[in-house]
Order: sequence, then C-alpha cells, then structure tokens
Amino acid sequence: MKIKLLRIDSRLIHGQVANNWVNHVGASTIIAANDSAAKDDLRKTLLLQVAPGRTKSYVMSIAKTARCYKNPTYKNLDVLMVVETPKDVLRLMDEGVEVTQVNVGGITFKEGMTLISEAVSVSQEDVKAFQELNRRGVKLVLQQLPNTQASDFMGRLRSKGLI
Amino acid sequence: MVAIVVATHGNLSESLIETAGMIFGNMENVEQVTFRPGEGIENLLEKYTAITERFDDDSVLFLVDLFGGSPYNAAGRFVARRKKMDIVTGVNLPMLVEVLGKRLGGGTIEELVQTAKQAGTEGIKSFRDVFAQLKMANSAKEDEGDELG
Repeated sequence: MKIKLLRIDSRLIHGQVANNWVNHVGASTIIAANDSAAKDDLRKTLLLQVAPGRTKSYVMSIAKTARCYKNPTYKNLDVLMVVETPKDVLRLMDEGVEVTQVNVGGITFKEGMTLISEAVSVSQEDVKAFQELNRRGVKLVLQQLPNTQASDFMGRLRSKGLI
Repeated sequence: MVAIVVATHGNLSESLIETAGMIFGNMENVEQVTFRPGEGIENLLEKYTAITERFDDDSVLFLVDLFGGSPYNAAGRFVARRKKMDIVTGVNLPMLVEVLGKRLGGGTIEELVQTAKQAGTEGIKSFRDVFAQLKMANSAKEDEGDELG
C-alpha cells in the first residue's frame, strides 16, 4: 500500500475536502481508519455515502487497516488514509504502518482544547501524541486544503506555548 | 486560465465566493458582481466591462443566479459578441466548487460549461433517495481478515 497522504481530520471523510485531496495526491482509494466509526454501522454507511464517487472508500478499524497495509495484494494501491487523532497515527505505526509525514487538517474544538489554527484545536493528549510523532521523525504539516498554505505544525505548537 | 464572474442579485455572489473559499482554498481570476436595488442593466454592463478588463485571459465564464434576471440579461448582451465567453444560470455552491476544481486541471470554457451544468444539478439530492440506495454496513463481519472492505 502506498500512502499518498495520511491526514488527521476529525470529520474523516468529508465531501469536497476529501475530493480535493484525492485529486491533488492522485489516490484511488480512501481509508478512514477509526475504531468507533468501524463499529458504528450508521456512521460508517453515512461516511461512505459522501465519499467521492470515483474513489473506492473504506471505513475500517486501526488494526484491520494495518493488516490490509501489510497485505501484498495492495502493494501498488495509492491510498489516502484519514484518521481522527494523532494517537491513531501512533497506533498505526505501532501496528507496522510506515509513516514519514502527516497532514494535520482538521481537529474540531471541544471544551478544554486550545485552538491553534482556523481548523485545528489540540488537547493535552494530542500535544503529547504529536511530540511522540515528532520524536519518531514524522514530519507534521499543518494544511487544510491542497491550495492553502502549508506550515510546520511543531513550530505552531511552540509559538502557541504548548510545548 | 478561464476567468470566472459570479453575478447575482444582492450579496449572494460575494458570499458564494467567500464560502467556496472555505472548501476550495485560494482562488485567482474569480470576481463577484452584485446587483442591488436601484441599479439597471447599464450598471451591470459597466461592472462586467471593468472586471473583465482586469483578467489576463479573455475566456470568461459567467455564473449567474436566475435565468432571465438582470445579471443574466446584461451578461447575455455582453457575451453575445465575445466568442470565448459563456453564461451558466442557477449558480450554486456545488457548481462553483466543481468548476473551480475543473479549471485547476486546465479546463477549457466549453468543458467548464459542461461541468457547471452537471455539478449544478447533480448536487441536488434528497437524503431519503440516497439512503434508500445504500447497502447498510455490517461491521460485525467486516472487521476481520486483511482484505479491504
């Protein structure tokens, strides 16, 4: 499996945004790797409903995503993978998925989180996970859409005084 | 790059472009024209002239709100003798976003017109119609093995 883009987006598959990224990176397949969505039939069905038409889309658990990643059948498959949190990226890596770069796209604000850009908020737990990703050499890029500005995510955390 | 003019009654054009930016990001050669109470066709023609002079391409697609409304009627007069321009009516967000995407891939004015007409209508769906066509996911069976699904 060739991961053309690994994106953190708490909306997972999200209409036109997914469409723009798929076109931009040239992926044929979208995998939303998320344990709770994979178990929730309605949410899963609705996520697949809004997936871009010409792309094959799947909602699978982290463990199953990692198993498929390692399946040689999919050696040449160009995938856009989307997860909800940085912790899920770590879990994918722990299960053997190779990750060199992560696109931090959207994390919805909830009580107790810090807003660090228009589309991204982080909790303390998120910050810890991002630090661990950084320690493992993963490049973290803050970018919402293919044609909006990309910036260094760790730099942003630093400038917000979060690390 | 084909230039795009969104021309509507009131502030719709302004808001539509601003909102498209949320989904699409930055865009060039996209201009808005508003048509306000008290204005007439002449005002619109002046605006169209001023705006299209700023574009570096003479290929221009007008996306207007209502067929037969003033933004359309003025655009009709403007476009009739300019062969590399066209108008599509019924502008909506799906139409604008798709046209911007197609244009990014180097779409010609003819292709953009096709995209606009198609996206403008295909973006209209009812949840119940779509839902009725869906096969409900069955996660209990699907979380096994190492095959996609």
